Amino acid sequence: MDILLSGLLLSGTYALIAMGLNLQYGVARIMNLANGEMLVLGGLAAFWMYTAAALSPLLTALIAAPLAFSGNWLLYRYLLLPLVRRAKTQGQLEVDSILATFGMSFALVGIMVSIHGEYFTYSYLAEPFKILGQTVALNRLVAFIVAIGIGGGLYYWLTHTYQGTAVRAVSVSTEAAGLVGINVERVSAFAFALGGAVTAVGGTLISTFITLEASVGVIFTMKALIIIIMGGVGDIRGAIVAAVILGLVETTVASVIDPGLTLVAAYVIFLAILLFRPQGLFGRRA
Amino acid sequence: MLTIENLSVSYGLHRALAGVSLTVNPGEIVVMLGANGAGKSTLLRAVAGICEGGATGHIDISGKDLLSRKSDEIVEAGIAFVPEGRGIFGDLTVWENLMLGAYSKRAQRAKDKNLKWVLELFPKLIERKDQIARTMSGGEQQMVAIGRAMMANPEVLMLDEPSLGLSPLLCQELFGNLSHIRETGMGVLLVEQNAKQSLAIADRGYLIENGEITGENNAQAMLNDPAVQAAYLGAGAAKD
Repeated sequence: MDILLSGLLLSGTYALIAMGLNLQYGVARIMNLANGEMLVLGGLAAFWMYTAAALSPLLTALIAAPLAFSGNWLLYRYLLLPLVRRAKTQGQLEVDSILATFGMSFALVGIMVSIHGEYFTYSYLAEPFKILGQTVALNRLVAFIVAIGIGGGLYYWLTHTYQGTAVRAVSVSTEAAGLVGINVERVSAFAFALGGAVTAVGGTLISTFITLEASVGVIFTMKALIIIIMGGVGDIRGAIVAAVILGLVETTVASVIDPGLTLVAAYVIFLAILLFRPQGLFGRRA
Repeated sequence: MLTIENLSVSYGLHRALAGVSLTVNPGEIVVMLGANGAGKSTLLRAVAGICEGGATGHIDISGKDLLSRKSDEIVEAGIAFVPEGRGIFGDLTVWENLMLGAYSKRAQRAKDKNLKWVLELFPKLIERKDQIARTMSGGEQQMVAIGRAMMANPEVLMLDEPSLGLSPLLCQELFGNLSHIRETGMGVLLVEQNAKQSLAIADRGYLIENGEITGENNAQAMLNDPAVQAAYLGAGAAKD
């Protein structure tokens, strides 16, 4: 029961960061390996504002979101769009964007190390809270609630508004989207920027209960990747289920076997999905 | 009115279209006949702005220059395109497909009128509106594709092989529906393998071979032209 609850709480933020990568990969078609660094930047901002100005990470998230949005928009517009325009095929674009963002991830790590080379240690709402007869850390509960709120809002926007439907249309087919008059480059830039903002907000939330440091981003990139591949690219409901599975498995392994093995467990799931259900849990075969 | 003058398209060294000129007037159905690889699809894709090759020449619709513009700008200028294989959003519902068809500014102005028209032409789409498009039959998907293109409020509607993969009965229904579209004043540019049925509803036709226009006439004359009959209507059709 304890494992179930902490696993569920963890999966809330996992689902949110997977949504961020899904917008970047599923809609804008950029496999962004620097996604985890964007998350760590969000965590760094939260740490910084908390230690320097005693600002709540939740307020920092409000500032970080528009900053990350603008930053990611500029990245897409000036670094990635030339690759998109040049690529003759989706495969070519994937190779180019993986290389470009892999390099970018090192650059971002370097910048963050130069700003703060140590652990982003701070304590926010680190107090016990009783829920369903169990005790959980209040910061985990708050992060979960905020993540669910943002993720739910995003899901509603994507599925129930006209502009959100246009974003999904681009994710289904860029060619068909252009043929109904959607400016694919503009929508892709927007989706990439939104994905970056969601990821950064996820980072500020995670930093309240996991101590981050500059070079830990790659782990979160992998977790987000596992979730969207398990859930099926572009499938939001699949990503939520996958996030819950990953959260539960990690928590179980950490508490029953050894905390050091959580990444191993995540990687085993990843391999199993790649081998047996590459189209995702609910995906259809192409 | 769609005017194409001296349009050439090359994929690298391969020349797919060589100096093609044609026009489509309002309310007119124009059919383009040609063998596989003659350049029919390239022509439509170049006009729609989704052709990977390099294009030269002149394309305009009612005075607006279209050559090498992006596909969304071309929709805004007044051209809707149903590509081969239909190009609908398979993961979205029928209703979402139709609504997205009216995404451009020119389409938003006339959305209600066009929706009424589409649902009159394809009443089946009303009962299927919440169905995911890819789970429908080929004929129903073709209705979604054509309906979505009509929602774009185009001056000219272009269709690439719309009868492909449809049963003879559905083909008949499709061509019947296409002949009704003309009543809206829309021009239709149709690329077809099914020469007999498409010429039967068309006003004019063009023949295209190896990337060049080799013949142009009104549809009735083409149906009766022995050369056309031999090449595109099969030997049996000549005796009809």
